Amino acid sequence: MTVTARLEEVKKIYRVGDLEVPAVRGVSLAIEAAAFLSIAGPSGSGKTTILNLLGALDTPTAGRIEIGGRSTEGMSSKDLADFRNTHLGFVFQTFNLIPVLTVRENVEFPLQLHGISDREERQTRVDTMLSEVGLAAMADRRPTELSGGQQQRVAIARALVKSPTLVLADEPTANLDSATASEIVDLMQSMNEKHGTTFIFSTHDPMVMERATRLVQLRDGLVESDERRNGGRDAS
Amino acid sequence: MPPEILPGKLGPVTILRLGWRNLRRNRRRTWITATTVGLAVFFLQITWSMMVGIERQSYDNLINYQTANAKVYAAGYFEIRDELPLDRPLEDLDALQATVSSVDGVAATTPRLTFQAQLSDGTDQIPCLGIGVQVLGSDTEVFRIPQAVVDGQYLSLGEEGMLLGSGLAEMFGLGVGDWLTVLAKTKAGAYEAIDVPITGLIGTGNPLIDQGSFFIPLETARGMLGMEGEATELAVRFSQIASESATLARIHRAIAGLGGLDVKGWRDVEEDFLAFAQMKRAGSVVFLAIFVVLALVGVTNTILMAAYERTREIGMMMAMGTRGAGIRGLFLTEGALNGLLGGAVGSLAALAVIAYFATAGLDLQALYGDMDIGYPVKERMYFVLDFAAMGITWLLTGLLAAFASLYPAARASRQDPVRALRYV
Repeated sequence: MTVTARLEEVKKIYRVGDLEVPAVRGVSLAIEAAAFLSIAGPSGSGKTTILNLLGALDTPTAGRIEIGGRSTEGMSSKDLADFRNTHLGFVFQTFNLIPVLTVRENVEFPLQLHGISDREERQTRVDTMLSEVGLAAMADRRPTELSGGQQQRVAIARALVKSPTLVLADEPTANLDSATASEIVDLMQSMNEKHGTTFIFSTHDPMVMERATRLVQLRDGLVESDERRNGGRDAS
Repeated sequence: MPPEILPGKLGPVTILRLGWRNLRRNRRRTWITATTVGLAVFFLQITWSMMVGIERQSYDNLINYQTANAKVYAAGYFEIRDELPLDRPLEDLDALQATVSSVDGVAATTPRLTFQAQLSDGTDQIPCLGIGVQVLGSDTEVFRIPQAVVDGQYLSLGEEGMLLGSGLAEMFGLGVGDWLTVLAKTKAGAYEAIDVPITGLIGTGNPLIDQGSFFIPLETARGMLGMEGEATELAVRFSQIASESATLARIHRAIAGLGGLDVKGWRDVEEDFLAFAQMKRAGSVVFLAIFVVLALVGVTNTILMAAYERTREIGMMMAMGTRGAGIRGLFLTEGALNGLLGGAVGSLAALAVIAYFATAGLDLQALYGDMDIGYPVKERMYFVLDFAAMGITWLLTGLLAAFASLYPAARASRQDPVRALRYV
């Protein structure tokens, strides 16, 4: 089993005035490549903090994080930005598309950041990705002209277009109705199966948890359970 | 890898596209800011064009009616020129004129005799500057006095007569055909008086001439002052294409061999006026700069508000790997574009106004009446239409607007992505 991301005794303590608030108290996880991993737990259990740490958006107070074989320890903010650019894709609860860019330009945005200077190559990759998420016909629309589910599809396309090591999704279905949420999880799952991209997502939604191939339950900043399952996939 | 796209950075086209579209995101705010900047740029362009215009006209006026391009004096005269001394005249004028006229870049020369005098109509007596000019030929090749005759005629060879400043004529209540008595101290120190008929009135727009000078034939002045064959200065006109400093240097070298002479360019002669013009220009620029700065504070505020509103968007961009420099670039571009938009509006409006006044001129008489505005300009002031200066001002506005966006841009780029993403 190839490990794509690893957390070793990771702790994160926030300081609020003189008060120390431990959000993560010592979490160790080895996340295998192509995992479809759900992090679940009640509010304040540390789900978002773990995602932020895995997303190189935050640095741990103690412990070590490795993604794609590289540790984020001691990286400057510029290095962290480059690291995120190279290794990570993000899907947010509120979609967070750039409203002044079209669907196509939104998906192209990370490719430009990635340093792909060949416009044709960018266009090909964007078109392919938009076809895969079923939005090829809406490429020239602005995000405000799309439904929530369509916007989240764009966000998924944007996260996947640069073929990242990990895609991190923080409550990706929280702002969607159950039918649309199911479609989004279907899409994420199919992308996971097709491209072998590792997905890590936090959720409160039992329907989403059921689809995960690995379910990590957190409580009070610690791993309460770590369960491997087939996530409703065919055994074949 | 092409320089326009580097990892973690956005290409200039993307930055420009984002900047422009973000400006359109809140059109009302953009236009309010652009209008403020535009107003400042409008007044700046107009004032600059007006200042340059009036300065150029003033310089032309001084050269055409008062200083020529340069003057040759006897050594020591220039330092005490305000006293109009007669005991330091130019001698051997023919040789001097021949020497200076042969200098490359010199178009014409003419001797003049300037002296202190009193003009009297029998009732009033007014101290004036008397100028003896060579009626035949040379003075009109160096100066443009004939063009300034507003009534009567220019001086005629062999005839007694006087060209009187129009302001002086008004003070005396006299006109062409009337007589005035000229009283002056001769070179020897005796007092001499002659009666001279007024043959013409001149209006140059230069208060020193219009309200304080009269012109008589050089021979009349020489005879009256006991200075046969002498003059106090040799005025020099340069050719149109001559370099001022180079020609001046050549004259300096040419007269060095003659000894006891000194040459001064019109800028030396009129250094007080030039200092005054420079001070006035600096004063106007400082005043307008304050106005521009206030307008740019509007840009700072607009970009600050935009950065606040888009905190989550910035967080998302950072999460995707945009470096701080990329975020800074976005907001600096937005500020610059807002400045350029306002600058374009202001510059275009100014262009229309300037183009009109560059052709039709501004009627100073209607605006100021007889009030002395400090510049030797006659009747109308013409604005200068300088596309290069206007373009530079416009580009500078964009640059300054980008500068005004530095703080909000830096602030936006230093955000913690986690906090930015949580911002509601």
